[in-house]
Amino acid sequence: MVMRKAKKATRKAFAERMKEYGAHDPSFVVFEADIGYSTYSYLFGDEYPDRYFNMGIAEANMVGAAAGMAAGGRTVIACGYGVFLSMRALETVRTFICYPNLNVKFLSSHGGVTAAIDGVTHQATEDIGMVTTLPNMSVVAPADENAARAMVEVAVNTPGPVFVRAMRDPLYNIYDADETFETGGSKIVRDGADITIVSYGDILFEALEAAEELRRMGISAEVIDMYSIKPFDKATLLGSLEKTGALLVAENHQKRNGLGYELAAFCLTNKPVPFDHLGLQDTFAESGNYYKVLDKYGLSHNHIVAAAGSVVKKKQAEVAFA
Amino acid sequence: MGGQRLEDRAAYLERVARDVRLNIVRMIYEAQSGHPGGALSAADIVTALYFDIMNVDPSNPHWADRDRFVLSKGHACPVWYTCLAMRGFFPTKELSTLRKFESILQGHPDMKKTPGVDMTTGSLGQGLSCGVGMALEGKMLRKDYRVYVMLGDGEINEGQVWEAAATAAKFKLRNLCAIVDKNNLQMDGYTHEVLPMDPIDGKFAAFNWHVLSIDGHNMQEVLAAFEQAREVRDKPVCIIAETVKGKGVSYMEDVRAWHGKVPDHNQYERAIREIQGV
Repeated sequence: MVMRKAKKATRKAFAERMKEYGAHDPSFVVFEADIGYSTYSYLFGDEYPDRYFNMGIAEANMVGAAAGMAAGGRTVIACGYGVFLSMRALETVRTFICYPNLNVKFLSSHGGVTAAIDGVTHQATEDIGMVTTLPNMSVVAPADENAARAMVEVAVNTPGPVFVRAMRDPLYNIYDADETFETGGSKIVRDGADITIVSYGDILFEALEAAEELRRMGISAEVIDMYSIKPFDKATLLGSLEKTGALLVAENHQKRNGLGYELAAFCLTNKPVPFDHLGLQDTFAESGNYYKVLDKYGLSHNHIVAAAGSVVKKKQAEVAFA
Repeated sequence: MGGQRLEDRAAYLERVARDVRLNIVRMIYEAQSGHPGGALSAADIVTALYFDIMNVDPSNPHWADRDRFVLSKGHACPVWYTCLAMRGFFPTKELSTLRKFESILQGHPDMKKTPGVDMTTGSLGQGLSCGVGMALEGKMLRKDYRVYVMLGDGEINEGQVWEAAATAAKFKLRNLCAIVDKNNLQMDGYTHEVLPMDPIDGKFAAFNWHVLSIDGHNMQEVLAAFEQAREVRDKPVCIIAETVKGKGVSYMEDVRAWHGKVPDHNQYERAIREIQGV
């Protein structure tokens, strides 16, 4: 998988496709919470002013109104920052959207510390835990432009609420325009035999870089883009673990209640393997250069390399004693 | 009902409201759980909506052009369930299953389980947001349906109510009508003690709503207010209805404790007698 430097953030790629898709599918509307020039939802609003509603800096009311509109069968895409959609508005999302299982979709920008420069207030580092806990909610996190574009149709065509976690800044592109995505899907973006590294969003690129370094060290790492966080692709994970027998999950989120916790619980039940998990360790991050923040909080590729090496050693030790 | 005199319509609704109140007390006694006070204070208004004002079709609860009702103070749902059943949305015998295992009548309203329930509610302070969304949908589609949202005067403590109020005014949702069931009590005491919100009419007016103030137990005033509300052209309408919590059962009236309490056998029989007027 070749990593090409990206020019466009996933938030913008999603919004551009949302505008294009608006012509194919006239049935959905878009709600915004006064950050239309940041989520780029204004692109849709300029094209379809009658289908675009700016609800002001009032996220809880926005998602409540989205529920009211969706109650009659309408699909609403509600845009905002992850911190506010997944936390300030959480209970409204739970009780008025997830409980009646309404077709409200969320373009949630600034996932993880990808909004590093903005500081903790704007870094959604607990969002996955919040929204994956809600029954009926599907959660996806596209890593690149083409994945983000595809998520518009995935979100609109998946019944019930769907949370799309997007990122603030452009990173890399790995997928071609014709790549297909679906809820419950995943992509093996690098084949390997010694360990499975599962990631999503921006950390996928750190994992790919780590895999290249691991190769030089003689460790063959398989890398999976678990872009569908809920539901996740159990079959692909099991198939990969059958081969590698070791798992490392790396994610731009609190370790607690992130994808790593979910996969650890799944593996304990179905396929116990040596395991480790990289994420924020019960701490908030801080402002600063994205790569420096990633490194300081243990999410960069060198941390992945070290953790993967340890997990593989553990596996080999277990094999030796068996 | 349009051709009839206001007095006759009101007299009919007063008779219906008596049965509504009987059913509220019976349901809560049968369930041994529920919220009589706020259901009884809302009884006349919800009765007027379902038996006169609202354009609904019990045989087609999802009819796209129907008027909508959102009971933002969802704990008062026995009044809604009773009106829906008496109006024919489902058999009245279901009323005895309130709050029971696998009932279509959940402890708080569930739009996926109860025919005629237009919106899931129960968590306070959020129903007006849902009403805004419904009214926005109607406006976007240029439909004639109206959206009625009943709020408690306690739940307007919640800031989200005022986010919704501002939003409704922004979009000039003339198809949206909020009713504040102003019974002056919330769970822990009088509203002016727990968190004073007066003047409520002034607040909605300041948010650019058209405000009407009525006696929420005077059927003629209730009907007249809903008809006036239809005529307002460019604003959402808020009807502030002065009511009495527990209205119709003397020992419940204006008593804080009857927010969420079940009458014992003697109290139950007395309540039934009082409502029947015997």
